[in-house]
Amino acid sequence: MMNLVSQFVLALFATMGFAVIFRVPARHIPACVIVGALGWVTYLITDYNIDSPAIACFFGACMVGLCSAVSAHIFKEAMTIFIIPGILCLVPGANIFYTMEALLRSDIEKMAEVGIQTILMAGAIAMGLLAMGAVINVVRALLSKTISIKDKL
Amino acid sequence: MLAIRAGTIMMKSGAEIYRVEDTIERICKACGIEYVNVFATPTGVFVSTDNEEASNTVTYIKRVKSSETDLTKISKVNQFSRTFTTTDMTVEEGEKILDDIEKNKPYPFWIRALSAAAVTACFSVIFGGGALDFCVTVIVGLLCYMLSRFLEKYEINFFIRGFCCCAFAAFFALLAAASIDGVSYAPVISGCIMLFVPGIAITNSIRDFLSGNMLAGVARLTEAIIIGVSLAAGAGVVLEIWYMMGGLAI
Repeated sequence: MMNLVSQFVLALFATMGFAVIFRVPARHIPACVIVGALGWVTYLITDYNIDSPAIACFFGACMVGLCSAVSAHIFKEAMTIFIIPGILCLVPGANIFYTMEALLRSDIEKMAEVGIQTILMAGAIAMGLLAMGAVINVVRALLSKTISIKDKL
Repeated sequence: MLAIRAGTIMMKSGAEIYRVEDTIERICKACGIEYVNVFATPTGVFVSTDNEEASNTVTYIKRVKSSETDLTKISKVNQFSRTFTTTDMTVEEGEKILDDIEKNKPYPFWIRALSAAAVTACFSVIFGGGALDFCVTVIVGLLCYMLSRFLEKYEINFFIRGFCCCAFAAFFALLAAASIDGVSYAPVISGCIMLFVPGIAITNSIRDFLSGNMLAGVARLTEAIIIGVSLAAGAGVVLEIWYMMGGLAI
């Protein structure tokens, strides 16, 4: 539990760094930071319970997508602003490195294992965002429909 | 042309294709141009307008040069297009606002450098580093970011930039691991890699695919893969040389 809290704080600061580098407007930085940290914690919890980084990445990306959509709606801003710093925590940067290292040690078996996992994780992030994008579109369509029906009544 | 300038700024700052196309179309419609066709790619924007007679077709092409992510600009142009379409702002006023947006100052350099250090250091701990690794990575991350900005000033392309920065990070990480007890190089290097990871390219390419812009999606996906390879290669070359030089105790 303690570990989770410290990871949350670290992810907060990491996302804040990304938000500054990508020049998110200052008033949106807090929201960005929370989106990123929530995504990372979701990843950790799923990874702990299911023990599959790819699936954990999927859920993390879903979380980031969902939170970004909500904050984009609240602040009436483009969703990109929240997604980009948020998703970066999930990108398997360390795995790129471990793949390389295994390759250098001519440990082909390990390289294949880590490399495939890297590709799977990147794919899972893509799938997560995709799935969330589709869900958000459907929800938005349903919402506007209900509003228009209300207007008619 | 106002609309195309707005579009170009957005594209440069790293917006998705559909947002750029949508913005251009809305601004054109607000100016009373009925028939607009927009085709945007990450490297160029094409706009063609005409009225009822096909003979009056006007086409604009704008090449988009290399980009730098600036989410503030996206947000501002977004708001601008909203106000432009809903109020009766003149084109001249619009031009002035876009000028201001284009001159938008980023955060001061030292803040960005510090945040880069924060990113790398936090990730080095997330990837299993200790307190000592944290301290080393703060310094290495700071230097890496400065190197990347330095190379950017001389318009060195992104492949070489990623390669150099990662090679630099790997070298310092190995140096620190060899000279200071209790520092391991893996978390330091992977923390630094995170700073240059192509997250924007991946995210945008997915969203482009999702909105049906296959060309842009493929272009950005390729960009992401190339950057990833350049990062791995940069770190890898230095590691390899280090092993060849005798490997020093790691």
